Amino acid sequence: MLVGIDRRLLFNVDWVLLGASLALSLLGVAMIYSATQYGRHGELYLKQLALVAVGALALVLAATFDYRRLADRSAILYVLTVVALLAVLRFAPLVAGTRRWILVGSFQFQPSELAKIAAALFLAKLFSEYRQETLGLREAALPGAATGLLVLLIARQPDLGTAACLVPPFLAVAFLAGLRMRAVLGLAAGLAVAATLTWPFLRDYQKTRIYTFLDPSLDPRGAGYQKIQSQIAVGSGGLLGKGYAEGSQAQLGYLPARHTDFIFSVLAEELGFVGVAVVLGLYLLVLWRMLETAHLARDRLGAFIAAAIVAGFAFQVVYNVGMVAGLVPVKGLPLPFLSYGGSSILSSLLGVGLILNVRMRRFAN
Amino acid sequence: MRIYEDLRTVQTRLAVLQTLVVAALAVLLLVFFRLQVVRARYFRHLAESNRTRVVRLAAPRGALLDRSGRVLVGSRPSFNVLLTPEHAEDLDSVVTRLARTLGTGEAAIRESLARRTPYRPPVVRADASLADVAVLEARRLELPEVSVQVVPLRSYPLAEAAAHALGHVGEITERQLGLKENQGLSQGSLIGQDGVEARYNRQLMGRDGYRSVVVNSRGLEVAEAERQAPEDGPSLTLSLDASLQVAMERAFAGRAGAAVALDPRTGEILAMTSTPAYDPNEFTTGLEPERWAHLANDPSTPLMNRVIQGQYAPGSTFKIVMATAALEEGVITPDTRIYCPGYLAVYNTVFRCNEALGHGVVDLRKALAHSCNVYFYQVGIRLEIGRIAAWAKRLGLGAPTGVDLPAEAGGLIPSPEWKLRVQRVPWYAGETVSVAVGQGQVTVTPLQLARLAAVIASGGRLIHPHLARRGSAVAAGEPLGIRPETIAVLKEGLRAVVAEGTGWRARLRGIEVGGKTGSAQVVGRARLEQSPTEDELRPHAWFLAFAPVEQPTIAIAVLVEHGGSGSASAAPVAREILAHYFRLASAPAGEARLAEAGAEE
Repeated sequence: MLVGIDRRLLFNVDWVLLGASLALSLLGVAMIYSATQYGRHGELYLKQLALVAVGALALVLAATFDYRRLADRSAILYVLTVVALLAVLRFAPLVAGTRRWILVGSFQFQPSELAKIAAALFLAKLFSEYRQETLGLREAALPGAATGLLVLLIARQPDLGTAACLVPPFLAVAFLAGLRMRAVLGLAAGLAVAATLTWPFLRDYQKTRIYTFLDPSLDPRGAGYQKIQSQIAVGSGGLLGKGYAEGSQAQLGYLPARHTDFIFSVLAEELGFVGVAVVLGLYLLVLWRMLETAHLARDRLGAFIAAAIVAGFAFQVVYNVGMVAGLVPVKGLPLPFLSYGGSSILSSLLGVGLILNVRMRRFAN
Repeated sequence: MRIYEDLRTVQTRLAVLQTLVVAALAVLLLVFFRLQVVRARYFRHLAESNRTRVVRLAAPRGALLDRSGRVLVGSRPSFNVLLTPEHAEDLDSVVTRLARTLGTGEAAIRESLARRTPYRPPVVRADASLADVAVLEARRLELPEVSVQVVPLRSYPLAEAAAHALGHVGEITERQLGLKENQGLSQGSLIGQDGVEARYNRQLMGRDGYRSVVVNSRGLEVAEAERQAPEDGPSLTLSLDASLQVAMERAFAGRAGAAVALDPRTGEILAMTSTPAYDPNEFTTGLEPERWAHLANDPSTPLMNRVIQGQYAPGSTFKIVMATAALEEGVITPDTRIYCPGYLAVYNTVFRCNEALGHGVVDLRKALAHSCNVYFYQVGIRLEIGRIAAWAKRLGLGAPTGVDLPAEAGGLIPSPEWKLRVQRVPWYAGETVSVAVGQGQVTVTPLQLARLAAVIASGGRLIHPHLARRGSAVAAGEPLGIRPETIAVLKEGLRAVVAEGTGWRARLRGIEVGGKTGSAQVVGRARLEQSPTEDELRPHAWFLAFAPVEQPTIAIAVLVEHGGSGSASAAPVAREILAHYFRLASAPAGEARLAEAGAEE
């Protein structure tokens, strides 16, 4: 039976995860309102609110169809994603030197966000097929290549941030699937070498970002500017913050990309350390419930799906928040739930839907 | 039938992931604690300076007033157009749009950008017109990098008149910033660069105010946070008389030289000119480097204040020193007679008199009136150089007068000791003969000679020339201990100079004038006789005077560079100044040109 919503399933819905995710999404709408209240994008929070509603619908859909049926069709989804990514490289308009969006109706759609979900399902499916206790590098090769293709296509846009988001799910699933520790270490070494070899192929602006991350004073009005201004916003927020919609850094326009990648700076400035602690607590709750779902899953497939999604989320949250705090180089990477962006909120809520799906069906057959 | 998979490995390894997630979030929480709680003060300060910008409100400098309260130097509001390049996202397009808005070339704007000091928005147009300001205000949102600042601008209504005495203003230089008297001033401050403006700079400056404004990241002003109004500098009353100053300038028109008039009773300077001059208004908006180089390298030295910095041989005016010294030292009496054959042959040299045929038998009065060199050659030989130098110094020559102006020169009174020390050559007896008539190595400034005239005029007191009025406490100067008889003889001799001698062109109807002519040789007599028409070789012409002889209220010195004889070139200028001072409309008979000038009064 494809549609399996009955009372028992409803009883097993993880209301805590659902509630925390929606709370973060709505907080995101509120922060977007604050970040954009003066300026040309004053109505963006309404658009985001609509997108949260659409995302909630997608969440219900993702939870409705049994994840095993979805995983069975993951190969098709994967191929569709690859085609979409190729289409982006071929047809998408060049915006600020990158090709990321294609227009679907009047909406810009970012296939790379969809790739996260497709990759999670496909990886989980591939790894769950292996029946042995321990895996070697040979077994990890096929899923690795599948992930690598997506990473390459997204990196070509170029969008290194989103491309990097696909690596942790692969590592997490391979690790859970029983990859030998020696292989895990070998893989880590291999990735380090690959990263080093990528350096000559980086675009100038990407290199500049890394240089200025190491020494922001090199270019205080350029690439280092974002890091400095974000740190000032965060630090000046203090314990209790400057008050909602009162942050001078955000409101006077010192913060770059304040409603998208740097939304957490606005939050830190206006709501202070207390607000930061609460929101990080909410993220911990979300990630913890997701990991718990992996633990409770009735089969390896379910555990792997949950693990892949949680790994992607965790990486994105930690990287984005670390970037806001000035710990890691600036990358165009949105914060799940909070950042403005339809594709991002959609894929985040889809991910939550899949995890709810796995948890709901832990007793079902 | 359900088949439960073996999930033990998965679950064990999940614990690792759980630990990783908790650890990562805990680290982030710690990082935010450090940023927001531990270092909050530091970042709050940065955020404050991020959003506020301090704009200096320049205090108008105090006005300079003449003795009757007329404005010599004032301030008027003007508009500066500033460009803040740090705020520009695309500087090139901003420059292009600004150039189009102001209707100027881009080159000038780019040049001021290139010349600017870091973190100070450069002035791309100083003293902009109201039309410019209106156009810029209308484009305020399109050009947020451009701002208009209201600054008080120094204005000199007299333009070139008294330019050197009043001075000019300019931006403080790197070197001046380090000086003690400029403590507390910052880059970009406008300070006095010469004359009274420099001497009384701190007094005139007042206290700058500031405005602290909240700006957004593009530099656009959003609100005003704080304002401290500037305090105007207090005005300063000078002893100058604007109308006498104008008359002096007119009397000097077309000539190079210097003149100064002072009150011999108080030392107050009534008028002072140095030509060629410059217009201090040119300096108020900042001088173009080329214009500055032109002024500074001009061979006619328009920037030099000849009254206090020009050092010239005194020529025959030095005979006042000789006469005073000789009478006081007792080497002659007023009745001592000397025969003048037109020359004096001593020390294997023939020293000529100014009257080739000779003056015949002359006494002191006649020697002064007709400026007989031979008489004073003899006096010099009797006095010897030591006593001549001592008296010259006592009468205020060869050292700065201490006038309240910067960079005053001292002139030189040579002596055997000086010559041996500096030139490492012994003194020749013949040099004393030259010095006796104010030639040779003696140099003085016009102000020193005006003071010398004031010594005789005031009955033997060395006054302190000054420009700033000092309230009621009148500094009358130090008595030099000269006997009244000596003063009386000199006054009579100098009266005779004008009444019947070389200074007749300075005669005034109804006012007795005392004076002395002089010409300072620029080259040797032989060289001059070779090419008598070359202007640069002609002697400088001197005339010093005081009037009325019995109760003098004015003493003046006039120097006309390369004017030839003091009698022909300098005395008429002095006369014109005196005529104005005594409000005389008509001139003595036979002086048509001067009569015309007088009628204009």
